[in-house]
Amino acid sequence: MRLQLELVRLAFRRHLAYRAAALAGLATNFFFGLLRAAVMVALYGERQEMQGVTLEAAITYTGLSQAVIGPLAMFSWLEVTRAVHSGEVASDLLKPMGYYGFWLARDVGRALATFLWRSVTILLAYVFMFRLLAPPGAKFVLPESLAQWLAVVLACCLAWWVSFSWRFLANVSAFWSPDARGIVRLAFIFSWFASGFIMPLRFYPDWVVELCMLTPFPHTVNSIVEIYLGLLSGPEILATLGLQLAWGLALCGACLLALRAGVRRLVILGG
Amino acid sequence: MIVELGLYRRMLGATVRSLMQHRVSFFMQLISATLITLVEFGALVLVLQRFDGVGGWSIGEVAMLYGFVAASFKLLETVGAGFDPHDFGDQVRLGRFDQILLRPAGLVTQVLAGKFDLHRIGQVVEGFVIFGVGVALAGVVWTPEKLAYLPLVFVGQMAFFAGLYLMGSTITFWTVDAIEAMNVLTYGGQEMMSYPMHIYQPWLRRTFTYFIPAIFLNYYPALYLLDRPDPLGMPAWAPFIAPLVGLALLLVAWRFWRFGLRHYQSTGS
Amino acid sequence: MNDPRPDVDMLRSGDAKAEVDVDMEVDIGPIISVDRLSKHFRVRRHHRGRLGWARDLVTREHTLVRAVDEVSFAIRPGELVGYLGPNGAGKSTTIKMLTGLLVPTGGELQVAGRLPWRERRRHVAGLGAVFGQRTTLWWDLPVIQSLELLRHVYRVPEKRWRSNLDDFRALLDLDVFIDTPVRQLSLGQRMRADLAAALLHDPPLLFLDEPTIGLDVVAKDRIRRFIRHVNAERGTTVLLTTHDLSDVEKLCRRVMIIDRGKLLYDGSLADLRARFGGRRELVVDLAPDAELDLAALDLPPGLPPGAVEIAGREGPRWRLAFERDALSASTLITALSAQVPVRDLEVREPDIEATVRRIYEERLLEGGGAEDEGADGMRGVEVS
Repeated sequence: MRLQLELVRLAFRRHLAYRAAALAGLATNFFFGLLRAAVMVALYGERQEMQGVTLEAAITYTGLSQAVIGPLAMFSWLEVTRAVHSGEVASDLLKPMGYYGFWLARDVGRALATFLWRSVTILLAYVFMFRLLAPPGAKFVLPESLAQWLAVVLACCLAWWVSFSWRFLANVSAFWSPDARGIVRLAFIFSWFASGFIMPLRFYPDWVVELCMLTPFPHTVNSIVEIYLGLLSGPEILATLGLQLAWGLALCGACLLALRAGVRRLVILGG
Repeated sequence: MIVELGLYRRMLGATVRSLMQHRVSFFMQLISATLITLVEFGALVLVLQRFDGVGGWSIGEVAMLYGFVAASFKLLETVGAGFDPHDFGDQVRLGRFDQILLRPAGLVTQVLAGKFDLHRIGQVVEGFVIFGVGVALAGVVWTPEKLAYLPLVFVGQMAFFAGLYLMGSTITFWTVDAIEAMNVLTYGGQEMMSYPMHIYQPWLRRTFTYFIPAIFLNYYPALYLLDRPDPLGMPAWAPFIAPLVGLALLLVAWRFWRFGLRHYQSTGS
Repeated sequence: MNDPRPDVDMLRSGDAKAEVDVDMEVDIGPIISVDRLSKHFRVRRHHRGRLGWARDLVTREHTLVRAVDEVSFAIRPGELVGYLGPNGAGKSTTIKMLTGLLVPTGGELQVAGRLPWRERRRHVAGLGAVFGQRTTLWWDLPVIQSLELLRHVYRVPEKRWRSNLDDFRALLDLDVFIDTPVRQLSLGQRMRADLAAALLHDPPLLFLDEPTIGLDVVAKDRIRRFIRHVNAERGTTVLLTTHDLSDVEKLCRRVMIIDRGKLLYDGSLADLRARFGGRRELVVDLAPDAELDLAALDLPPGLPPGAVEIAGREGPRWRLAFERDALSASTLITALSAQVPVRDLEVREPDIEATVRRIYEERLLEGGGAEDEGADGMRGVEVS
């Protein structure tokens, strides 16, 4: 356990160190958030709400969307692929804890670090500059009760776990294929759409949403968004969290199984 | 700036042959890239259907905007991949730019010929298809003038993105840190130009009218093609300066590039 | 050999100052002339301490690094010159100025009558360069395709290119791998390919940067023979920067040594060796309790005093320094083994650092070693 905490701490410190690139990244985030908020406002036009989402909530959504990019590694994560292809995995696998657990710990550090300097900053920028983004009188949406806040926190943790697990699983393809990068990339492309990262899933036709629900992706960003924006009733919140947990467990199991098979293959092939 | 076409063709051939050595990887990238645009545009269409267009523009009209700027930007990304700031920065850092300086051939020729993102070609085609479909849906009334102007707009957009690329690459002579911010201008620019720009807040719109005149690159030409009135009250020649705007930016970028080269030669890497 | 280029014939006569045939308009001044050349860098110094990054934003401290400091030399066409120096001495910086990659801060520099950084394309068309660490060839393509492409880059007439290629294929044994992609080549093969590539356009000037680094003895030898051939037969002027004294010993008659931006030595290798570099080191492992009695060694008579000295001892390992001109390693080894059982041995050549150190220590150069440059330990920073 101590080893895992140490890993978390190291990853955390490493990610906090890149200042200039960090500022550039933040500027990028804010600009895209701005753009998407403007598109939202235009989309809504005279409407007050769409599928239960008010304009304020929709604009808040654009900020949330930018905030999750860091912690959930929305654009790319190829660490395991790199380790496998470079051969580093051989020494890593000798470490005393499971390979999955090893990367899990590191990702916790990474996610926390990015959350603190990137996500929080973006959200604060949104809170303070909401006037620039929204019609007069609109306010940044915040969860209304402590229970809701707790649910949001829980949803974030579960979302991160689901996200890590599918990213890990996609990367495990590296044990089989030298073109794992392409496979991982494909997974990411689908995740952008199906996770509700581009637009809230509610905005899509029902049949599209049903298809997306067959994948783990909605149980990351979309779950957080729906709970945060207060779009769900109590039982619905519990159901959402439950689904996240279920997917987390299922993916974790799949990862461990795939890992075992992959390692066996590596050992047989002699690395 | 003289781009030696003969040598460019030959060096480009070498680059493409190198690409084809990794065939599987290439095809996977081709599929990924094509899928990205499909997914992005698909999401846009689904949402526009829900909301009945945006800013008073129909799906077809938005598709025109989206498709055209996608085609121009992706084509520039394909052909100008050597000047992608991220890639160029790597070249400088790894000393490969020095190799280029040591050959008796044009620098721009060599950089351009050294990289070619052929896998984006699917996206270029998609852009044109989306534009075509948009034109059909929007019921554009074609005139010879409009048809003649279209390629000029395309060149103007490509020149604009080329200028951004060149500026980003020049910056890597000093530092690699600001590259991510360049994404705002390129990807952000493409996304911004994909929508009718009157929907943006006044301050944002003004920035992209007077500071970086992107509004004249896609939106105004589209107004002209669609025979739509100008809601912003710009002069009558506004739709027709797209190629000038693009080339002006490219010119500015070129001067900056020459300046960056001089700096590189006095301080090394 | 019927070489169509008149200047090569003349150079082969061995004297670059030979009389000029008035029908041939050939300039035989130095091909490289460097006068008080300097290159200074202002390096930003970061503030130390916890709030250092904040102070960095407000003020900037600079140190001036003299990577190349008033270096002067002239190289005539057809010479094969070694350019030596420890890491960070200013070698790459000098080469970068000679190739036109860097603009000098001071002094004058002319290569083949031109200012390298001013007339880039014309200048680089007349030179070839090989870097030990990097290749100039296209990584994924067969060697031959790179060579063909370079023909077009350098605008070499087809016939000339082909005749050069045939020459190099024979001399460097390229056929074995000429159709192999560069990424699959061994280091030695890659070096040979790079050498061919650098010379296909008949450059009068060739820069070699660590051409034998990382190669085994056989490969090194092959490369050196080729360089010697090219210099002798084609009259190519060669400037060889290296860390490796044996490269220089096998190839160069003239040697320049640079350290901390200053040119310490410019003269013949024989002279250098005679004055500074004659000592080799024999490292022997004896039994832990064995003692060596130098005086009692059965050495040839008439050795000068100090020809063999004990340089140091670490437990069973003894280091003996001996003058190379005084006696051979085998003589010394034989004498040693007669006195005590030798478990293991190694002969070490003086490396450039040792020679440079010796130059400083002995202060045998006017001007170069006289100043106390060790004060802050600042060396010319290698910016590459």
